[in-house]
Amino acid sequence: MKSFLNKRAPYIFIAPTLLLLILFSIVPIAVALVISFTDMDLGGLANMDRVGFIGFDNYAEVIQDPVFHKAIYNTLFYVVIGVPLVILFSLGIALLINLGTSRIFKVFRVVYYLPSVTNIVAVAVVWSYLYNPALGLFNYMLNSVGLPDVPWLTEPTVAKLSLILLALWKAIGLNMIIFIAALQGIPRSYYEAAQLDGANTWQQVTLITVPMLRFAIFFVSITTMIGWLQFFEEPFVMTDGGPLDGTLSVSLFIYQNGFQFNNFGYAAAGSFVLFICIIAVTLVQLRLQKNETDMT
Amino acid sequence: MNKLMRGVLDMKKVLAMITTLALSASLLAGCGTNDNTEGSSGDASNEKVTLSVWGMGEEAKTLPKIAEQFTAENPNIEIKVQALPWDQGHEKLLTAIASKKGPDVVQMGTSWIPEFADAGALADLAPYVEQYPELKQEHFYDGAVEAGTYEDKYVSVPWYVETRVLYYRTDLLKEAGYDQAPQNWEELSDAAQKLAARGDGKYGMSIDPKEQSLGFMFARQNGAEWFTPDGQPDFANDKFVEAVEYINSFYQNGSAPKDLGLDIIPAFKEGILPMFISGPWMIKLIQDQAADIDGKWSMAVLPKKENNTSLLGGSNLSIFEYSKNKDAAAKFVAYMSKAETQLKWMEFTSSLPAATAAWEDESLKNNEFYKVIGEQLNAAVPMPVITAWSQISQSYVKHFEVIYRNNVDVKKELEALNAEAVKFMK
Repeated sequence: MKSFLNKRAPYIFIAPTLLLLILFSIVPIAVALVISFTDMDLGGLANMDRVGFIGFDNYAEVIQDPVFHKAIYNTLFYVVIGVPLVILFSLGIALLINLGTSRIFKVFRVVYYLPSVTNIVAVAVVWSYLYNPALGLFNYMLNSVGLPDVPWLTEPTVAKLSLILLALWKAIGLNMIIFIAALQGIPRSYYEAAQLDGANTWQQVTLITVPMLRFAIFFVSITTMIGWLQFFEEPFVMTDGGPLDGTLSVSLFIYQNGFQFNNFGYAAAGSFVLFICIIAVTLVQLRLQKNETDMT
Repeated sequence: MNKLMRGVLDMKKVLAMITTLALSASLLAGCGTNDNTEGSSGDASNEKVTLSVWGMGEEAKTLPKIAEQFTAENPNIEIKVQALPWDQGHEKLLTAIASKKGPDVVQMGTSWIPEFADAGALADLAPYVEQYPELKQEHFYDGAVEAGTYEDKYVSVPWYVETRVLYYRTDLLKEAGYDQAPQNWEELSDAAQKLAARGDGKYGMSIDPKEQSLGFMFARQNGAEWFTPDGQPDFANDKFVEAVEYINSFYQNGSAPKDLGLDIIPAFKEGILPMFISGPWMIKLIQDQAADIDGKWSMAVLPKKENNTSLLGGSNLSIFEYSKNKDAAAKFVAYMSKAETQLKWMEFTSSLPAATAAWEDESLKNNEFYKVIGEQLNAAVPMPVITAWSQISQSYVKHFEVIYRNNVDVKKELEALNAEAVKFMK
């Protein structure tokens, strides 16, 4: 009887989570899959008779859509530039804060964490003033040292970088906390041993700290990458995908087609292309990580 | 682990964005706002009925004031107003349609009508006209009636109207040699260039490149038709091209700013942008936020080319198809479409009545600003009432962005737009 309960207990504990996951993630994904093969629009939403199955037409169309190509290119741009920067900065800041012993570093921890808990819409309003071509603080500072204006949000490539800067600022805090937690999990005895052997701080960081953080780095890179593949809020509130679709991300493309143009089937097809990409990227990363742990 | 959870939630959010709608039908209906369509059904004669009314935007917050007066006259009908921001209103309505549960009466922006009418969400009003003669379409501006009719079905009754006119700084135009507003396209362009020549950081006119209907409006002024006689889009004909080239010329010769980053009111006040085209809501905004320039600005009907057609927009009221209180809803809608109610509404919110009879009222006739709007309303057309329009006009904004930023060949860009429009309409 006891062993029976022991076997059952874990399932009972995860049942609520599992139920929620199925209801709000798995089922919607399945419904979206079905919708992606239909021509569902607003009329179809009201009256199911008007929904017709059109096979792979949506997929064929969406992978030929030049706007979708642009959205993929932009998203890759965000990921390739943004993800390494997030890891680099959050790890760097976590290391520095961890090295510091003074009380002021506790304050810095809060300072760096604050952007993560600030509402994105409020952030966007403030940042759009910073980026404003006429009233913006950034251009004002540039001008006062004799530099010309930068078209922060009005030139496609610069606009992408501006959004990355904003997202980076916002993303550092949370990842920094993860790194700090991992840092504090490294046994002090390693450092003591290294110090006895005469290792300096730099050697301790590169030879003990960073290798010991491997799992944390892997975790942060995988979650950050998934997050940035779904880059949405920043372009949604700041630029609405403009200028010239220069900041349009795949998620925003899906949103616009689904909720502004009511092409639910088309948008669902787009979201599945994104879904498959994310799964593929995650699997590749998992495989890489596995190879690495096998080696050690 | 927080991050991982967020990752999962984010993934769910994007992927399920589409499907939450479908799901919300069965699962989340209870989380919706006030769907009080259940319970009180049947005729409105003596049974107590609660109507749910969805209003949009800032003005909807004033709606309860009118609703109170209606309830005073009809004690059996209680009105529950829900004010939604415009951008959320659209999504809320999608959910309402999916779940077939929603408001009884809903405010419709004129550009929304085709898609929601096509989805069958708006009840036919024709059966109520006999009982409530104030709903008769002849009482309203033609353009507003046109916007509220979808495929010959009377789906929404005009409530308030707006049209675009020219706002200008009288003092600055006088300095540029114009004692009155520019009367035609050449004068407008000339005045804008003269005003822009005042110096660095000064411009002649604001043209909002994100305004979806501006190109279509100028094309109409140039005598272009939007569609061929057999109903195909015709956005690349010579007249249309000429009109878009005309708008583009303002950006290229520096009389309109590409990215200024200033709101129109302060820029108008400082004289940075001494002219702009906009709707009647600007009157109150200028009076409130730029009181210093009182008497130094005025309004005029749009400058003409072949004609001076403006846009007609505004809001209509519709009865939601899935409402169980249609009779009471019709009574409320009829009350709202009376000229005197609309005049009262204007007092509260400065929205302009759609009922032509209201314009006979002294308060409208003697106001110099409203007079201009009234005159322009006689030459104002709504955007086409077709479902593909929201996509076509978005597509226009994108193509126009390429035109004014990169100064490319207008004809080629509009041909691309036309090809897309054909695709959207099929």
